[in-house]
Amino acid sequence: MMSQKKQSSSEQEKDKTHEYHVASLVAYAMPEQVSAVEAAINIIEGAEVHAISDKGKIVLTIEGDSHKGIGKKMDLLRVHKGLINLSPVYHQVLDENKEENHQKIK
Amino acid sequence: MTINRREFIKANAIAAAAAVAGVSVPAIASNLITSSDITKLKWDKAACRFCGTGCSVNVGVMDGKVVATHGDIKSPVNKGLSCVKGYFLSKIMYGKDRLTSPLLRMTNGKYDKEGEFTPISWDQAFDVMAEKAKDALKKDGPKAVGMFGSGQWTVQEGYAAVKLYKAGFRSNNIDPNARHCMASAVGGFMRTFGIDEPMGCYDDLEYADAFVLWGSNMAEMHPILWTRLTDRRLSAPHVKVAVLSTFEHRSFDLADNGMVFTPQTDLAILNYIAHYIIKTGRVNKDFVNKHTNFRLGETDIGYGLRPEHELEQKAKNNGKTKGSSTPISFDEYAKFVSTYTVEYTAKLSGVPEHKLEALAELYADPKIKVTSFWTMGFNQHTRGVWANNLCYNIHLLTGKISEPGNSPFSLTGQPSACGTAREVGTFSHRLPADMVVKNPKHRAIAEKIWDLPEGTIPAKPGYHAVLQNRMLKDGKLNFYWVQCNNNMQAAANINEEVYPGYRNPKNFIVVSDPYPTVTAQAADLILPTAMWVEKEGMYGNAERRTQSWYQMVEAPKGATSDMWQVVEFSKRFKIEDVWPEELIAKKPEVRGKTLFDVLYKDSSVGKFSLDEIPEDRLNHESRDFGFYIQKGLFEEYASFGRGHAHDLAPYDRYHQERGLRWPVVNGKETKWRFKEGSDPYCKPGSGWDFYGKKDGRAIIFALPYEPAAESPDEEYDLWLSTGRVLEHWHSGSMTQRVPELYKAMPDALVYMHPDDAKSRGMRRGDLVKLISRRGEVQTRVETRGRNKPPVGLVFMPWFDASRLVNKVTLDATDPLSKETDYKKCAIKIVKV
Repeated sequence: MMSQKKQSSSEQEKDKTHEYHVASLVAYAMPEQVSAVEAAINIIEGAEVHAISDKGKIVLTIEGDSHKGIGKKMDLLRVHKGLINLSPVYHQVLDENKEENHQKIK
Repeated sequence: MTINRREFIKANAIAAAAAVAGVSVPAIASNLITSSDITKLKWDKAACRFCGTGCSVNVGVMDGKVVATHGDIKSPVNKGLSCVKGYFLSKIMYGKDRLTSPLLRMTNGKYDKEGEFTPISWDQAFDVMAEKAKDALKKDGPKAVGMFGSGQWTVQEGYAAVKLYKAGFRSNNIDPNARHCMASAVGGFMRTFGIDEPMGCYDDLEYADAFVLWGSNMAEMHPILWTRLTDRRLSAPHVKVAVLSTFEHRSFDLADNGMVFTPQTDLAILNYIAHYIIKTGRVNKDFVNKHTNFRLGETDIGYGLRPEHELEQKAKNNGKTKGSSTPISFDEYAKFVSTYTVEYTAKLSGVPEHKLEALAELYADPKIKVTSFWTMGFNQHTRGVWANNLCYNIHLLTGKISEPGNSPFSLTGQPSACGTAREVGTFSHRLPADMVVKNPKHRAIAEKIWDLPEGTIPAKPGYHAVLQNRMLKDGKLNFYWVQCNNNMQAAANINEEVYPGYRNPKNFIVVSDPYPTVTAQAADLILPTAMWVEKEGMYGNAERRTQSWYQMVEAPKGATSDMWQVVEFSKRFKIEDVWPEELIAKKPEVRGKTLFDVLYKDSSVGKFSLDEIPEDRLNHESRDFGFYIQKGLFEEYASFGRGHAHDLAPYDRYHQERGLRWPVVNGKETKWRFKEGSDPYCKPGSGWDFYGKKDGRAIIFALPYEPAAESPDEEYDLWLSTGRVLEHWHSGSMTQRVPELYKAMPDALVYMHPDDAKSRGMRRGDLVKLISRRGEVQTRVETRGRNKPPVGLVFMPWFDASRLVNKVTLDATDPLSKETDYKKCAIKIVKV
C-alpha cells in the first residue's frame, strides 16, 4: 500500500530554489481600520502597498521565492481583525535558472 | 524605458489589482498586462477548478507549464478577483506524487485483490477492467455494475459516462458525489417549483437590502461572493446581514444579527418566520393567490438508514408515501404554522426572541429586498428537502422571489454540481434536462436523441451514492468505477459502510485520480488522470452559468482525462456483450459494433470534424478518437434542453464568453427565471410564471420540525458537526498537496467551547479521542480560533486524510434526497 505522505521539510526546501514569485492582492478593510491594516502590511517583508481606494480597498503586492512564502504572509495578514477580506488577484512565478530572465528587455 | 523581468511582472501584478480595486497607479504599471509577447506567456481563460462560485481565471502558460494566473477582470462573477484557493491553482497540477501509470494490485504478475500496486500499461488496465465488468454483467446483469462520479467532472465527462452506463451497460447505478452536497437542494427545487436550480443570479448581491445566511459560511467557503456581499454592505449602510449557524464562524464578523441555534431547529425557525409574516398581516395576498398552492406534506418519514435500523422500524411513513402531500387551504396552512410561536421557537432553538423577531422582520417588511443564501447547513440534513421547501415558503408568502435582490439562493460546493451532476443528470434516477428514468416519456425522448431502440434505458432508478456503498458491502455491486472524487474520505461511517465494500473479495474497484488518495489506495486498479486545463471542458456554476475552456498544457505522460478513459473503455465491449438479443433485434444494424461505435463515433457525438479545432490547440482526446468529441458530446447533450427551458448556446460561443446563464434564448442569457420580462419562458401577462408546474404555481408546503436522527444523550453528550475550512477544499486531495495550504491549516482539529474543554479536564492542544457508536478518531483540542462552537457542540473539518472524522459520523440521510447529514451526530470526547 502506498502511503499518503505529507511533504517533508526538506522537500519543501527544494521548492524554494531559483524562483521569484509575485502576487498582487486587494485587501478589504473596515473603513475605520484602513490605516491599521496598511501598517500591518508594511511590516511584512516583501509586502508593499501601492494604492488605496476611497472605499478602503488596498492594492498590495507580496514578493517571495516560493508559493509557500507568499501563502504564509497572506495568512499573517488574514488574521488581522480590521480585515474583512483578502483577495489575491495575480500570481506569477519566474524560474530564474533560465538565462533569458536575467536579460534586460526594452 | 528599460525594465527588467521581475519589475515587469510585478508591474503587471499591480496593474491587475489596481484595475480590480478601481484605483489608478503610475503609468509604468498600466496597459502592460496584455503584452504577452514580451513575457512569452500565452494567456487563456478557464473556469476555476475549485468551488461552485464559478470564477473565471486567466491562465498564463510558458514552456508547457502553468506559471501565472489572475482573476479575470472580464468575468461578471469575480470581476478580476481570486481567493486563496484560486491563488494556488497554478500549483495543483504539479504535486510531487502525480500518478503517471495505471496501477493494479498484483502478486507474481497476476491480479490479486490482496496484492501490491504494480504499474501496468493502459492496454493491460482496460483488459482486466473489461474482464471484470463482463464477468459481473454475465453473472448478475446490469445491476452488478456501477459508477461513482462527480460534480467536478466536466459536462462532457459526465455526459459520456451517463451514456455509457444508462444506454451502454443499461445500468442506472451511476451517481455523483453531488449526492452528498446538492441532492436536497435538487429535491427542494423539484418539489416546490418542478424545475431545478436557482431562479436568481449573483446580480442579486448588488440589489438586496438584506442577506440571510442559513447554514452557510460564505466568508470561508465562497470568498468571492462574500467580497461582493461585503462591498454591498459597506457601500450601502442600510443593508443588513443575518447569519445563522450551529456555531460561530468567520461570517459572523460582518453580521448585524448573528444567531447560533441548536442543530435541526432551523426547521422550527423557518416555520416561525412564516407564522410571523401571517400574524403581522404581511402576506403578499395578490402574489400568493395568483402564483401559489398550499399542500400538507407527509411526516415521520424516517432517516434513510438501513431498513433494520430501529429508527426505521419506528418510523410510520418511510415507505413509498414519504414524499407525498395533500392540498390544503391558506387558513389550514396558517393554523399549521401558528404553533411556532416566538416563545416556543426561542426555547427550542436557543436563539433569543428579539433576534428571531429581527430576522423575521427582514422577510416580512415589504420594503426590504432579501436574499437568502444556504449551502450544506440545509442540504446535509435528514430533513434537507424540507428545509429547502420551508425557505421557499417564506419567499413565496411575501412574493420576494425572481426579482433583483429578492432571491432564495441555494449555493453549490463543487464547480459543476449544477452543470454536470444536475443538468447532465448523472444521478441514479435522472436523465439530462431534469428528466427521470421512471418516466416512460422521458426515456423515449432520450432513446430518440441517442438513436437507440425503445427499452434500452432501464426504468428503475439505480443505486444512489449511499446505497452503492451498502451494495458493495453486501456483494451485490461487483464492478465499480470511481472518478473524480475521494469518497473513502468523504462518505459517512467509513468503517462500517464504505471500506468493507471496497475490500469485499467479490468486487473489483477502479479509481481514477491524479493523486494517490485514500480512495485510490482502497481500490484494486488506479487510473492516472489528467486534470483541469490538461483537457478541454465545461463547468456549470450555481447561477446557471455554463463556462468552457480549452486544453492549455499537456498532462503528465501516462495520465489521461476521465472522458478519454470512459470512451476508450467503451471500445472493449461489443453490443452483444451488453444487450440482450431482443433489444438488438429492434435495431439489427448495431450487431457486431462496439459501444464506442454505437454511443459515440456513429452517433451525433461523432459528427464534428477535427478541422473545427484550431490548429494551435492541444486536444489529445479528439485527435485520438478522430472527431471533435468535446463539441459532439456537448451538442448532443444540449439538444435535450433546447426548447424546454434549459436552452444552452452553441458550443463555439462559450469559447468567446465568460459563461452564459441558461436558458439562453435567441442568443440572450436569462438572469431571473419565472419573472415576466426577464425570462422568455413566462406566459405573457402572467407577471410570474412557475412553469415547472403545470398550472404555473409554486407550492407552499406545511412541514413540521422533526428531531435529528441522533441527539446527544448521557453517554454521547456532544453534538458533532463537520465541514470545510477555507484553505482546503473538500477532502483536500488537491489542496493538501500544496504545502502552503497544508501549513496554513495543517491538521483537522476539534473546535470546542472552553467550558466544554474545562469540564472534561482538557486544555487547548491536548490529544483526545472523539467516540461515537460507530467509531473513533484522534485529534487535538482547539478552544480558540475562528470557529467558536457553543457549549454542547464541537466542530471538526473533514479534509485531513490522517484524521478521518467520517469514521465517527452517522450515515443517516434525508429519506427524500438520500443526502447524508454530516452536521449532526452524538459523540463523546475523552483524553488519550
